[in-house]
Amino acid sequence: MTTRTGIRPATIAVAVLAVIWIYPVIWTLVNAVRPTADLYRGPLDLPIPPALGNLADAWNRANLGGALLNSTYVASLTVAGALVVAIPAAFTLTRLRPPARAALFLLVLAPLIIPTEVLIVPLFAIYRNLGLINSLPGVALVNVVFSVSFATVILAGFFRRIPQDLIDAAQLDGAGRLALLRFIAVPLAHPGVVAVGAIVAVFAWNDFSGALVLLQRPGVFTAPLALTTFSTFYATDEGLRFAGLAITFLPPLVVFLLLQRRIVLALTAATAR
Amino acid sequence: MRLAAGRRERALDFALLLPVLALLAAFLLYPLLYGLDLSLSRTEGLEVTGSVGLAHYARALFGDAVFRQGLVNTVLLTAAAVVLQTGIGLGLAVLVSETRRGQAVFRIAFVAPFVLAPVAAGTVWKFLFAPFFGIVPSVGGALGLDLSTFAPLSDASLALWAVVVVCAWRFAGFSMVVYLAGMQSIPHELHEAAELEGIGPFARLRRITWPLLWPQTFALTLLTTIGTLRVFDLIWIMTGGGPGHATETAATYVYTTAFRSVDVGYAQAMAMILMVLIVALAFVEYRLLTPRVEAAAA
Repeated sequence: MTTRTGIRPATIAVAVLAVIWIYPVIWTLVNAVRPTADLYRGPLDLPIPPALGNLADAWNRANLGGALLNSTYVASLTVAGALVVAIPAAFTLTRLRPPARAALFLLVLAPLIIPTEVLIVPLFAIYRNLGLINSLPGVALVNVVFSVSFATVILAGFFRRIPQDLIDAAQLDGAGRLALLRFIAVPLAHPGVVAVGAIVAVFAWNDFSGALVLLQRPGVFTAPLALTTFSTFYATDEGLRFAGLAITFLPPLVVFLLLQRRIVLALTAATAR
Repeated sequence: MRLAAGRRERALDFALLLPVLALLAAFLLYPLLYGLDLSLSRTEGLEVTGSVGLAHYARALFGDAVFRQGLVNTVLLTAAAVVLQTGIGLGLAVLVSETRRGQAVFRIAFVAPFVLAPVAAGTVWKFLFAPFFGIVPSVGGALGLDLSTFAPLSDASLALWAVVVVCAWRFAGFSMVVYLAGMQSIPHELHEAAELEGIGPFARLRRITWPLLWPQTFALTLLTTIGTLRVFDLIWIMTGGGPGHATETAATYVYTTAFRSVDVGYAQAMAMILMVLIVALAFVEYRLLTPRVEAAAA
């Protein structure tokens, strides 16, 4: 069924829904460069010229610049840690024989079903004893624990698709496990590795519960945590608040836009058994 | 020679798995046991000052109306999230698969909310749900209706459903891409044959697409259940569990009890109950849905 112009009714329906869906995101990005006074006076006008002062204020006055650095640091450490642990684990799991494989898979998957809330109080106590409260690598470590399971599952899916012939041939040539991993598995599965890295980075960037409990000093706040202080310190300056939201939104959004095909592929591969 | 090599390989397998196992033992198993101990103890701040046996569990289950309401809210929220996220996701997937052009753009629009920080998304929706200049009053105003005092987040009977809307907005796109991937593996011939026999699009959706997508529905139901039962950040930012305790969930109540009331042992007992609930519900869903998944695969 097509209309005279060749556009299907389904396309029109999807387009309308897509605009509704993305509206809150666009609205935030536009409000970030709207002078605070106009938020109430002309909420639907386009902000021309854009009030870039909001962004500068959020960056400097509310110290979001520092928080972004902290977030970047935590996200990088989390990605590095998760990949270093998950790549060898995923590869080995796909190489093991059935009984051991299933049991170990279940073990690695266990964290997916255990809620953060159960671990956060004991982790807070353990971290206090270790002197890791307010430590950004400490937060990254918790993020690694909570992301290593899905990283392993997704990577195992990519490793499993490497043809057995290739592995057999390499083994005949005398390649051991480590050489297989380095020269065959990781290069062939690199789209998966990149996608998993991106997903873990977004997850770590967005983390709130872990940071809320483990980071107490404003100097080490990550971006989501810094955002919550906006509401108490700058309650009257909504333009500034939207600038902060937009700055926090953007990095995951850019990562997603750049890698969306791979990210979607990795996510859907993980749900198809 | 071969035997020695085999043994070396096995040792290497173990060595490659060791980091993940050590990590999980140190930062998952140990905190879990530590937490179990806390939940059975009288606590002073973070220090254990004695044992109380199962008293904390009894208090949570039988003597705490707020925790009970938190559990009810958590289960309601989860049930609504499972139905809405899979339902809307499937609807969007069907619509998007019908379009010829712009599928990539639509996919970006629907999945984008999924990658945003929950804290930031929650703050934005707090604005959108605000009275006077929020989205409902603005749209109402444009239609000539006075809805300027519509403020779902401060209305105890609406707040939980406002949270449900935001959850659905964030995750429906994820369900959509999972369903879209599943639909690609359904052979075109099935739909073409049904179309030739005069079976309409809705009947085809119900009798071909839906049954064959059970593996996806299964995965999404489990993931949504596990994810929503523990939801914290979105609610914490939007309502803090209020108004009253209208949007209190098990997770928000655990947090306030542990870090505001500093009743650590009791908070940990409630967290353990939440974990048991998650494991139990996931197990029930697994048992209920597995036969359908296997039927779809056959």
